[in-house]
Order: sequence, then structure tokens, then C-alpha cells
Amino acid sequence: MILTGDQIAQEVAADHIRITPFDPGRCTTNSYDLTLGRRLARYRPGQVLDPLHEPEVEYFEIPTTGYPMEPGEFVLGETAEQLGSDTFVPLIHAKSGFARCGAFAHVTADLIDLGFFGHSTLQLYATLPVVLMPGMPLAQVTFWTTYGEIADLYDGKYQGGDGPLPSRSHLDAWAVGARG
Amino acid sequence: MILTGDAIRHAVDSGEITFSPYDAASVNPNSINYHLGRGLKVFENGSWRDIDLPDDGFVLEPHRMYLGHTEEVIGSRQFAMRLIGCSSNGRRGLFLQLSADLGHTTSCHRWTLEILAALPTRLRPGMVAGQVSFWRNTGRLVPSPATYARFNHACEPQNGVTP
Repeated sequence: MILTGDQIAQEVAADHIRITPFDPGRCTTNSYDLTLGRRLARYRPGQVLDPLHEPEVEYFEIPTTGYPMEPGEFVLGETAEQLGSDTFVPLIHAKSGFARCGAFAHVTADLIDLGFFGHSTLQLYATLPVVLMPGMPLAQVTFWTTYGEIADLYDGKYQGGDGPLPSRSHLDAWAVGARG
Repeated sequence: MILTGDAIRHAVDSGEITFSPYDAASVNPNSINYHLGRGLKVFENGSWRDIDLPDDGFVLEPHRMYLGHTEEVIGSRQFAMRLIGCSSNGRRGLFLQLSADLGHTTSCHRWTLEILAALPTRLRPGMVAGQVSFWRNTGRLVPSPATYARFNHACEPQNGVTP
């Protein structure tokens, strides 16, 4: 079952959901609106990204005039908010106003583990020219009830995310073993 | 409702979820990791060309659509499924299952993966590719024929319902 916006506000008050900063006015009917933080990251051109190896990344801030994305461009962003829950499973979605511009807030990984808390990294992909502005509401998070005992909480390589976090799959045991 | 990791482990043990090969260490707080199989398809000159992923991997051309498959046979007679790419891949601009993430209750096979890379990216066989989550149903279960499972060379025989 999916939580209503009113229930999200109640669960934040009860500390079952953490959203920082929290503004009750951003609760929608079934979600909470998320805004874009100021920091972006991109992979240096000329490299082949490989799950076994740490990628080369450059970080920069969105200028006050905005950051224009070209069609086909991919950058990492972050939600201005920190969020997470030990009780309800969060799912990240684009806001439809952003997606209708041909821009995607993420394409493949919307599911957040119970126990994660931090700025959520956004996988920003443009199919049309679009300008990113800090503070723009571009994503939303929904919360879902669980079935079964909550025996494990996330404590992985993206925990406490602060700023856009590039891929860290090279830290996985599989990658470490394969590198030898 | 979405199953917790503990519920997934119990459901695999009881046979309500098929996940093979299974390693309990692949279970997350509310999903399970699947891995990339060796078969890849790329659309060229009007037809699909098969590629066998070598051990040292294969570099994807950006913005080109490929089909892959899960190493694991995944299914459930009890729960509906959602399959996504993992965030480590999404953060590299490697998108899996861009569009068709829903696995129907009673389906059981190796999933065909939709793969698109925004940047030049190396795929390696056996890499963690993404996660499957399992969801409880409400309502009477009336399975419909599973069209694509019949044509998916990577798939195992259907477990339960025959088209």
C-alpha cells in the first residue's frame, strides 16, 4: 500500500520517515516533492565506464543562470533534501512537469533501501534541451508499506549521501575479486 | 505491500519465490540483486545479432539499444515482481529496464533486459545488474498467457501456467 500525503506528514511527525528540511506544504496527494540541490557531477569525457574501476568525475555547481543540458547529456545531481525511512520503502519518481520536458530525474534505479538516509543522487538525463536550476521541484518520493519482518537496514556504500555520488561498484566484493 | 529482505529469504526457502542460482548474501533490505547473463543482442541491419559477452566484457555504444538477460531464473506464484537496474549502474548512465519493469505473478524465467547506455560503458558477465522487488497481490489471481516467455531463448520452461 502507498502512503497518502497526509500520512507522510504524520509519519514524519512520528519520526518513521525522515525528510530534512521538511515543509508540510510540499506533501502532495500521494508523495512529497523534492527539489534539485546546487551540486552536479559528470564523468570526464574520453573514458569507458567500467564496473571494475573507479570512474574519473568532475564536480561543479549550477551557475545562478542555470545549467543547460544538451539532448543525450547525462549528469548526476542530488536532492536538496535528505530523506529516508526505517519503516516505509521510498520510491523516487520524476515530477511529470520535468519529465514532460523530455528530462528524466532517474531512468533505472528508483527503489531506496530501508535504512538509507541522505541526499538522494539524481541520474539526470535529457532527451531535449533543458535548463537545470537549483531549487527546482523536479522529483518526488512515495512511501510504501512492507510485508515481513524488517530484519536488515541499509548500511551500504551510498549511505549518508552528501552531494551527487558517482557509481561505487568498484568497491563491491565482486569487483575487488575480479581485479585480483 | 513490498516484501522485506527477511520475507524474501523466507519465500525463497518455502518455494513461493524462485530465484536460481540463489545466494542469501544478495538479499537487500527490500529487494534482491540479480546478475548479468552472457547473452547480448544488438539490432543491426534490420535484425538482431547475438553477442556472447567475453570475460573481459563488451563496450556499449552510447544511445544504442541492446537486449541482455538475467543470469538467474526469477519468478513467483505468489507475488508480483518489479525489476530495475541497480543504482551503481544508473549512476554511470547505464539504464536497464527503462520501460517494462513489471513481472507478472506466476511467470518464471530469465528476464530479458532492456539496456541503454548514455556514456561508453563496459558490460561484464556476472556483474550485479539490478534488483528485483516482490509485491503482495490483492484480488483473485487469474493468470493470463505469458506471450514473450515462449520466444525468450534464455528463459526456462514456465513454472505453472502454459500459454
